[in-house]
Amino acid sequence: MTDRNDFISRERFMAELYRYKKGSVTRRHFLGVTGLGAATAVLGAAMPGLRSAAWAQGAIGDRVALATWPNYHDPANFEAFTAATGAAVEVNVFGSNEEMLAKLQAGGSGWDVFVPTNYTITTYVGEDLIEPLDLAKIPNYDPAAFNQRFAGPGTVDGKVYAVSKNWGTTGFAVNTSNLGDKPKPTTWKEFWDLTMTDFSGRTMVHDYQLTTIGNALKYFGYSFNSIDPKELADAEKLLLDAKPHLFAISSDYQPSMRSGDAWMTICWTGDGKQMNRDMPEIEYVLGKEGGELWSDFYAIPKGAPHMDAAYALINFLLDPAVNAKEALFHGYPTADSRVDALMPPEVLADPILYPAKELLDALEFGAAVTLTDPNRAELMARFKSA
Amino acid sequence: MRLYALAVYLFLYVPIGVIAVFSFNAGRHAAQLQGFSTQWYGKALSNPFVMEALQTSAIVAGASAALATIAGTLAALALQGVGGKPRAIFDALLYIAVMVPGIVIGIATLIALVTLFDWVNPVLAALWPLADQAPQLHLGKGSLIAAHGLFAMALVVIIVRARVAGMDRSLVEASADLGATPWGTFRQVTLPQIFPAILAGFLLSFTFSFDDFIIAFFVAGSETTLPIYVFSSIRRGVTPEINAIGTMVLAVSLVTLVVAQSILQRGRGRGAA
Amino acid sequence: MTPRLRTGLLLAPAALWLLAMLVLPLVVVLVFSFGERAAAGGYSAAFTLENFANLGTRWAAFKNTLMLAPVGTFLCLLIAYPLAYYLAVKADRKWRTLLLILVIVPFWTSILIRSYAWIYLLGGQGIPRLFDSLGLGNPRLINTPFAVLTGIVYGYLPLMVFPIFVSLERLDKRLLEASADLGSPPWRSFLQVTLPLSMPGVATGCMLVFILLMGEFLIPAMLGGGKVFFVGNALVDLFLQSRNWPFGAAVAVALVVIMLVTVTGYMRATRKWSGGRDDVSLM
Repeated sequence: MTDRNDFISRERFMAELYRYKKGSVTRRHFLGVTGLGAATAVLGAAMPGLRSAAWAQGAIGDRVALATWPNYHDPANFEAFTAATGAAVEVNVFGSNEEMLAKLQAGGSGWDVFVPTNYTITTYVGEDLIEPLDLAKIPNYDPAAFNQRFAGPGTVDGKVYAVSKNWGTTGFAVNTSNLGDKPKPTTWKEFWDLTMTDFSGRTMVHDYQLTTIGNALKYFGYSFNSIDPKELADAEKLLLDAKPHLFAISSDYQPSMRSGDAWMTICWTGDGKQMNRDMPEIEYVLGKEGGELWSDFYAIPKGAPHMDAAYALINFLLDPAVNAKEALFHGYPTADSRVDALMPPEVLADPILYPAKELLDALEFGAAVTLTDPNRAELMARFKSA
Repeated sequence: MRLYALAVYLFLYVPIGVIAVFSFNAGRHAAQLQGFSTQWYGKALSNPFVMEALQTSAIVAGASAALATIAGTLAALALQGVGGKPRAIFDALLYIAVMVPGIVIGIATLIALVTLFDWVNPVLAALWPLADQAPQLHLGKGSLIAAHGLFAMALVVIIVRARVAGMDRSLVEASADLGATPWGTFRQVTLPQIFPAILAGFLLSFTFSFDDFIIAFFVAGSETTLPIYVFSSIRRGVTPEINAIGTMVLAVSLVTLVVAQSILQRGRGRGAA
Repeated sequence: MTPRLRTGLLLAPAALWLLAMLVLPLVVVLVFSFGERAAAGGYSAAFTLENFANLGTRWAAFKNTLMLAPVGTFLCLLIAYPLAYYLAVKADRKWRTLLLILVIVPFWTSILIRSYAWIYLLGGQGIPRLFDSLGLGNPRLINTPFAVLTGIVYGYLPLMVFPIFVSLERLDKRLLEASADLGSPPWRSFLQVTLPLSMPGVATGCMLVFILLMGEFLIPAMLGGGKVFFVGNALVDLFLQSRNWPFGAAVAVALVVIMLVTVTGYMRATRKWSGGRDDVSLM
């Protein structure tokens, strides 16, 4: 991943240099984006968010544990954080919100920061598993700069429990070189039909009930969030019919897509962008019927062992320059207008990150009830064990 | 016949070879060779989380194996003089301990401890003079050692008992007749005879704990053992760092094995003398 | 100190350990298996038999386990026996210890890393590509029952080789010579002398591998792509995804009962079969 990150095209470099000269971007941004600042200590020292903060090196401890999703961070930013604060970042990766919730419910997760999705936050609050945030310790979080559509779910009953990380969509990625002369699928119906015919043995779905069941529901035009027993029964039948044709059930689909073992997968924005960037034949598609629109957050679990380090890490990652570097690396848009201002125009025009209005309008946010509904959980478990 | 053996060894060593070859990969993707480099060994050795996971694994394996060996050896010796119902119950429990799958042990320990902590922690907090300084019980090295030690202890009892059964009883009786204390008899007669079994039990226990993933997956809490680290690295996207760790663990294990073998050989030599 | 008291004291640590870490947790599992899933997941107290009534929804996982565990055990036996025979009977004495150590060495790298190597070997860049370049077609191997069985045989082979080796090594070679002197062809000597005498080792190896396979989770998870599902995978799923502790407890209870019945029955049968000779068996 680092090598992809270190790579910057000559054109990009010139464009960035031009913007820097014009004064439209800061020196920090220029150094960060071009990789010139990748001498990480330099970069770390150049982060005002850290320098001005109350914690001196060592004061926040030597570690911070982060629970997050696959392919969701630029490792260079963690190295910069460690260089600047002395705290090493331990990254734990999860493939579903259910798995994070289960780990927190069992207690003693040891996490300091985790990354929940919009629709789960009320459940965490209800289960008393999440810490209300002291925004004074996150000076880089400026609520006015954030699009409330995506940042809003972090606030429950007037208290801020989570600050916006990224937002994105759940569509599918398809390796078009395997399509032959067939047209590119554009709907969930075609996704599932192709899975059971020409792409048999080559499709992956998430090990995550929300998206896998949700997009099976979309085959019939039902709501992504449905908990209606009859609609779920239809989805279950489709999933069971499709199961023998699947390559795998896993939320970590990039390795198999890149190696060519898998040809199509349910996919999140950033993974779609990362694969498309390196292999243009892999295209990211949003099903016309709709699907999921989501936003992710940084939050602190109750009883986090390294609270100061948790705040320092969140604050660091929300520094617009760092956040822009993250976004350029992982390909998920942010809800922060200050970050958008640092993004190259071609990124802001990228249809993978910012889909056309009619596609976006068809999407739904996940609903809290889909996380806790026992029937959906059981349906997913039956599908996997079938 | 020899050809067949060769084929089996090939089957056993091709994956090991793949692991070792990719550990010298210069590139960052585990699945594409891009030149030769030893950088991943340096990265693994300077990665604080790898070192800490290694340390946790060593502490947990060492402690659980040591405790299990002591408790198991004592039990194996004591069981000689036990018969009837207590013996039957003890045997049945040992049998169950060996037979219940690790995954069930992990789950059972998890839910039992989580439930127990839910009861105990509020009581502790209420009884403690300063409520916010009250100790909180949680999953960690303690629960790992206890859960790993269970299987290990049963294993030690079985191994040591087999040895005790094959022991020459007349030596013990002769020692007692000559006026040695029970402790003296144990130290000078019994222990040397059963020592190879104790050592074998310890080594097996250590290996089991060091390599266990599934029990640790459930009861480790916030602790990271080496297998848990490897598992989460695989989910993070594999870099050759994992291959380097695997190759190093293999090399160290090999050395340990050779040393253990020579100690055992010597122990056996002394036992016979 | 009376001998009785001494025996009691010596047994106390082991007894307490068994009580606290085996009996108590298993009792909790049994109690939980009659409970209900709490609203957001976990356990809430109740008395219902519904969890056991629902066991049928995991039939596929039980079926996979009950089919692949014996098949995997049998494959291990099939591959291990000739190797153990070679090591114990045919191999040069000088090299025997080294060859034996070479069987265990792979066992000393984490099963996770070894399985990962198989992901590569069975994936599109590995053996299928080799086949393709040899013009043998491009079979799909990864994420199939075949891949899981390969991983199983690979992971558990040493556990099968060792007990068989031990029982074959004890074999008195003079018996074979006597058999040959009496004009018995080699295959007959093997069937009438070697095979019966190696049965205790075979029984022990099969039981060890079978016990471990019944609780297997990692190999199907890694080489089966989440598609080849064992009871172990169903358990992980119930506790770490759908957070249905009571149903998970019921599945665990069912697994333990199945194991108690099959393993006890198996041990009875083999003990009778091998004429009460259980010197190398586990218990």
